[in-house]
Amino acid sequence: MTAGTAMLTAPAFLVGCGSRPARTATVAPAATAAPDNPFLEWFAIDEARLRRVLAELGARGADRGELYFQHTRSNSISMEDGLISSAHAHVDLGVGLRVVVGDQVGYAYTEDLGEEAMIAAARSAAAIAHGGASPAPGAFTAAHLLSKSGGFYRLEVPWSDVAVDRKLPIVRRVAELAKAGDPAIDKVSVSWGDEDERVLIVDLDGRMSLDRRPMTSLYVSVTAARGEDKQSNSSNLAARQGVEWYTEERLAKVAREAVDRTLVLFDARQPPAGELPVVLAAGASGILLHEAIGHGMEADFNRKNTSIYADMIGKVVAPEFVTIVDDGTLPHERGALNVDDEGVPTERTVLVDHGVLASYLHDRISAKHYGLSRSTGSGRRESFRHVPLPRMRCTTMLDGPHTREEIIASVEKGVVAETFTNGQVQIGAGDFTFYIKNGWLIENGKITAPIRDCNIIGNGPDALRRVTMAADDSKLDTGGWTCGKDGQGVPVSQGLPTVLVDRLTVGGTHG
Amino acid sequence: MAEIEDLEALQERAAVAVDMAQAAGAEHAWASAHSSRSIQCHVRDGVLERMQHSHSRQLSVDLYVDGRYFSHSTSDLRDEPLRAFMAEAVELTRALQPDPFRSLPDPELYRGRASVDLDGLDEGLASMDTDTRVELCQRMNGRIAGKPGVLSATSVVSDGRFGSAHASSNGFEGGEEGTFVSTSASVTLQDEGDKRPEGDMGAAARHLADLPDADWIADEALARARARLGASKGPTKTTTMVVDRLAAGRLLGALLAPARGWAVQQGRSFWAEKLGQGLVSKVLTLTDEPLLPRAMSSRLFDGEGIAARPRTLIQGGALRSLFIDTYYARKLGVAPTTGGSSNLVVKPGKGDLAALVADAREGVYVTSWLGGNSDSTSGEFSLGLRGHLIEKGKLGAPVGEMNVTGNLLELFSRLVKVGGDPWKHGSLHSPTLVFEGVSFSGA
Repeated sequence: MTAGTAMLTAPAFLVGCGSRPARTATVAPAATAAPDNPFLEWFAIDEARLRRVLAELGARGADRGELYFQHTRSNSISMEDGLISSAHAHVDLGVGLRVVVGDQVGYAYTEDLGEEAMIAAARSAAAIAHGGASPAPGAFTAAHLLSKSGGFYRLEVPWSDVAVDRKLPIVRRVAELAKAGDPAIDKVSVSWGDEDERVLIVDLDGRMSLDRRPMTSLYVSVTAARGEDKQSNSSNLAARQGVEWYTEERLAKVAREAVDRTLVLFDARQPPAGELPVVLAAGASGILLHEAIGHGMEADFNRKNTSIYADMIGKVVAPEFVTIVDDGTLPHERGALNVDDEGVPTERTVLVDHGVLASYLHDRISAKHYGLSRSTGSGRRESFRHVPLPRMRCTTMLDGPHTREEIIASVEKGVVAETFTNGQVQIGAGDFTFYIKNGWLIENGKITAPIRDCNIIGNGPDALRRVTMAADDSKLDTGGWTCGKDGQGVPVSQGLPTVLVDRLTVGGTHG
Repeated sequence: MAEIEDLEALQERAAVAVDMAQAAGAEHAWASAHSSRSIQCHVRDGVLERMQHSHSRQLSVDLYVDGRYFSHSTSDLRDEPLRAFMAEAVELTRALQPDPFRSLPDPELYRGRASVDLDGLDEGLASMDTDTRVELCQRMNGRIAGKPGVLSATSVVSDGRFGSAHASSNGFEGGEEGTFVSTSASVTLQDEGDKRPEGDMGAAARHLADLPDADWIADEALARARARLGASKGPTKTTTMVVDRLAAGRLLGALLAPARGWAVQQGRSFWAEKLGQGLVSKVLTLTDEPLLPRAMSSRLFDGEGIAARPRTLIQGGALRSLFIDTYYARKLGVAPTTGGSSNLVVKPGKGDLAALVADAREGVYVTSWLGGNSDSTSGEFSLGLRGHLIEKGKLGAPVGEMNVTGNLLELFSRLVKVGGDPWKHGSLHSPTLVFEGVSFSGA
């Protein structure tokens, strides 16, 4: 992110600014700036009203506090049996108000942006504090604004301006491609989603940040029949992209994947049970990082002493060739963010640097707790109804020194994990799982038969130590991963090179 | 603007929305207005860590325009914005394609609503003050925070009140209001090395008085965490599996997921065309009970307005009913039942956990699941778990890092016993379950 002069115009400039208030400009009075001021247009509020709500929020004292305004237009379309079976359009509008005192949080939200409702919510949130009043901001400063040219996911045409008749042909086309993919394909269903989200974050110091966050997803699922035998499976795409992203090539690929992943199930079996070497195919296997280490590195678990990684910073946790990053700056990725949900510009955070545990993922509460000058831009929330927490963005491992061929050839008896449906972790005990939908058996260094539907379970630190090989083919997955924590879902991305973990417990049958 | 204290106002908003939809050109419409208020209080290690106030409202409308169907929702319930919203919604609907299977339910199905008082509203809870919540939370926390080996202890009290009202252009009118409350506690302990095992316990109810004692919740969380100390990787073997009544929901949920109209019609259900067939163990009888007073998910009508009635899903191992809503009923050419479950009740057998463990002699007792999934088409499943070994009829060492894998129908055909100890503090009332000949993978 580049520093520069902040101006509050619509669409405004992208300005990175870690520290306040030097090099930031004062917002012009709302009355004169109205036509150019995006927050006025989006949320129908003015500076005077903001100041009154912030004064109420800080009335009992606060280390920090903020208003998080959000306006989201989302649409979904489903197609089944060649018919558009349902469509849904939703407008979500509201403000979340937070007061932070040390590690304590008071929170309230309202969907009514009238002054009376916001003041009432501010009082509820402030009730946690018991000190003297914090001063309301004298002037507002533009800490992070939208860019005309920059930003990680600016769209030529925002989703709010894309009519439904441009989306229907895409949904129909991908359904046709999947249906035509094989004579055995009996049923095809397609789910489409698009979203145009705008957020405005104003903190008690008067720092103001804006972001506009697009998202789209396409989910294709099919059922195939061979005689009495039926199998079903799916594939999907998701990114902070616009309608032009859905090229014929991309649609053909996702349809092909859904068909292939289904047909292979006719011959696939659950693998043998027990401990086996597991080769993680490049891409979606990043689920390993997400579960085995990512959550354990979220600083709230560490400051609360509940993570297995709580005392491990600076220690060797993996072989030297392992470097793991959590990156919010990858353009158009599902987990990308210009600014996090506390108004902090996002960054690329190195979690494990050449095998050494380097940094947790911080929100502003944990950054203060650990005496850091700033967070890692990892404070995220599902919506204005939720408090921000340290969360992952795009979690990946950098290339290693081996090749995929070497890795497969090194395994006498094991499995390749290729597609996944879900995973989970116990933060304290460190046990984690991921579920393999499609994979392969390896026998004597060669891929042999397809496998399916098995849960893999391991222990985070143990699994990292057991990463014995990593290839030079790291890539990000384009699937629509949503990470859940504390009842909140946020979009994330993940990636991995081909990796060998020399022993994990593979769920299987004994026969 | 509608407040939850006023079900009549919500009813009026729903009716107005239907009128507006029809005025804007919809042939038919269903509207729902919903409002809720809740407070969540977290205490960690003796300190009030988070107090969260929620106040939410929403209006949603299903539109039927020229044979097309579209649902829309908004949080702005005022007259003028609502009128503009509806005009836009009807226009958007026209841009879709007709779907001949979409319609409102047959109004006959709205009739015959049970005249039972579900008693889902606790007036005392609705007027409880914030300090009382904090005190309850502190009381739970006081029993666990700072105890030997405890690294962190958190207790949570959450409660709220909601109202919702529905109206349709073919004569449905109905509303409900209620309260809910839940208490939970979680404990993290220091174990050998870096491991920090956790234990938790929680319960939910419509009335505060129906919750288990808060002290018990806290003590149970601590006991469950302590039981995890020294856990090791379990064995790879085929043996008996005893499933804790609190863990039974994950298995029953996987078994019932394909019992929905969507899955059946899309060819993604191992239950398809199996009505009447005995596919699982005779000891399993499972009913959907929407009319239980004060139960978590009781209702007089379902999400489409169909009058709710008790329904047997599985009787003595035979499939008796599926969850079929109006849309999939029309696609499948069958009569609708209801789109989804309310309170699921497993018919209890005899014996508590200790008795069932004593009978099992050897095996694995599952206290909770970790990850895993299942395939609703083929029934194949694989789940991570933690629990204890069962040795000589008693609970033994804690184990983890294990999976149980197989086929759901086959697993449930191996259900040999159902306990007499159902858990009733949630939407699923299941006792302890005992399965024989189950495949575990571990060390």
